[in-house]
Amino acid sequence: MIKIEKLSKSYGKKQVLNLIDLKLEKGKVYGIVGENGAGKTTLFRCISGLENYQGNISSDFNKLKNHLGLLLTEPFFFDKITGKEYIQLLANSRQIQLLDIEEKNIFDLPLNQYASTYSTGMKKKLALTAILVQKNDVFILDEPFNGVDIHSNLLIIEIINKLKSLGKTILISSHIFSTLAQTCDEIYLLKKGKIIKKVGQLDFKNLELEMKEFTIESLIHKLDLK
Amino acid sequence: MKSYFQLQFKLLNRKIIDFGSPLLIAYTLLPIIFIIAANYIFNKTEFGSYVLVLIALSTTAKLSELKRNEFLKSVFSNKDYRILRVIENNILCVPFTLFLLYKEEFLFSILLIFITSGITLFNFSSKTNFTIPTPFYKKPFEFTVGFRKTFLIYPLSYFLTYISVSVENFNLGIGAILLIGITCISYHTKLENEYFIWNYNLTSKQFLIEKLKTCIFNFSILSMPIIITICIYFHIKIDILFLFFFICIAYQSTMILGKYAAFPNEITISESIFIAISFMFPPMLIIVIPFFYLRAIKKLNKVLE
Repeated sequence: MIKIEKLSKSYGKKQVLNLIDLKLEKGKVYGIVGENGAGKTTLFRCISGLENYQGNISSDFNKLKNHLGLLLTEPFFFDKITGKEYIQLLANSRQIQLLDIEEKNIFDLPLNQYASTYSTGMKKKLALTAILVQKNDVFILDEPFNGVDIHSNLLIIEIINKLKSLGKTILISSHIFSTLAQTCDEIYLLKKGKIIKKVGQLDFKNLELEMKEFTIESLIHKLDLK
Repeated sequence: MKSYFQLQFKLLNRKIIDFGSPLLIAYTLLPIIFIIAANYIFNKTEFGSYVLVLIALSTTAKLSELKRNEFLKSVFSNKDYRILRVIENNILCVPFTLFLLYKEEFLFSILLIFITSGITLFNFSSKTNFTIPTPFYKKPFEFTVGFRKTFLIYPLSYFLTYISVSVENFNLGIGAILLIGITCISYHTKLENEYFIWNYNLTSKQFLIEKLKTCIFNFSILSMPIIITICIYFHIKIDILFLFFFICIAYQSTMILGKYAAFPNEITISESIFIAISFMFPPMLIIVIPFFYLRAIKKLNKVLE
C-alpha cells in the first residue's frame, strides 16, 4: 500500500499541490482527472521522488522508486538510440536480464530503428513496454492513451486489467474518460492542486456528466461561437 | 524578421546566463578566447585557414537542421526565409571572416562567405532510417550513442597506428590513443534526462561506480588494437603508453563525475573551470576527481536515495 498524507508542493509562491491525502492499495487501479495544470503530473513526480515536497509518502517497499514504473506524458528519448536499446537501458537500470527483447514487443514496434524517429504513439508504446519489462509492482501512467491508435488503446486497457489481476498498484491520468471508466476502481478529481472529489465505479457516469456540464459547457458558452 | 533576430539574441543571452556567466564578462571574453584559439591554430599548422573554414562551416551546418528549417519555412515567406538564413549564417561566420581578413587570407574569407550563403540552400536531416551498428548495444547509452556519432574516428585512429608503425613514429601511436580518449570524453559532456538516472535501483555511489566501470571497459576495448600494436612494435616505451592510457581514463572519469556534480543542470562555468585547470595542469586531477565525486554523490542522492 502507498499512503500519501498532507502532500503539498509549491514552486515559489505558486501552490501546485495542496494537502493531498491518498491511499493506494494493491490490485487496484486509480484514476486522476483534472484540467491541464491541475497538478496531476506534479503529483506523479512527487510520488516518484523526482520532486521535493511537504507532507509524507510511505509504502510497503523499502524504496518505492525501485518498484515503480513511471510512464511520462512525453517520454524522453536519446538521439541515435534504437527502440531495442531503450528497452535494454531501462532493464539494465533495474538489473533485469532480458534474453529476447523481440518477444516482449507486443506493440510490434520497429525496435531496430532509432526511437527518436518514432511517432508520438509509438514512443508512448515503447516507453510503456520498457517499464513493463522492468517487472514493477507499482505503475504510474501519465496519459498512457495519448496519441495511441485504437488497437493499441484496447491492448493497453487489457494490460492494465492484467496488471491489476496480478496485484499491482496502478495510478493513471487520462483525458479520455471512457478509458478510465474501463480500467479504474476509483477516480479522483483534482482541481487547482486539491482533490475535490473521490468517485467509485458506480458513480463514474455521473462524474463524467458533471465534468462535462461544469467544466466544458460553461466554457464553450464563453466563446460565443456563431 | 527583425523580431526573429531579437529573439535569437535573447535566447543566446539566456544560454550564457544559464551557463553561469554574466553577459558583460561573456561578451568580453568570447572574442578574446576566439582570437587566442584562432591564433593558436595558425601558429600550430600551416593549414590554419583550412581548419578555420572547416570549423566555421561545421558551426553553420547546425543551422541547416531539417526540422528547424521546416519550422522557419512555415513561419516566413520563401523570400524572407532565404534572406534570414543567409543573414544568420553570415553573422555566425563574421568572427571567422574577420580573422581570415586580418591574416590576409582574402581568398578564404570570400570563399567562406560564398559557401555559408550557399549552404542555406540545403537542409540536413539528422533522422535516417539506417541504424549504425554498435558493439555497445547491450549497455546503452553513452557509448552506444557516442559511437554512432563518431564511428569514423576509430578507423582513422587505427590507420594512424598503422602509419606510426610503418614510419616508426611512437608519438603518432600515442596521438591515436589520445584521439580515442578525447572522443570518448565527448560522450560524457551531455547530461541525460533525470528520468534515466531515477530509474536505477542503485545508490549514488553504486551508480557512479557503474558508470566509471562501463567507461573504462569500453574505452579499453576501443583502444585495445592500438595498445596491442604499440606494445608489439614499441615495447621499450610501454610505460609511456600506459601513462597516456591512464591519463585518458582519468580525464574521462573527471568528465563523468563533473557531469553528475552539476546535476540536475548541465555542466556550468564552475565545473568547466575545474576541468580546464586539470587539463592545463594534470596533477590537479588528484583534487578535482574526489571533489567532483563528493559533489556528484550529494547531487545524485536527491533522486537515487
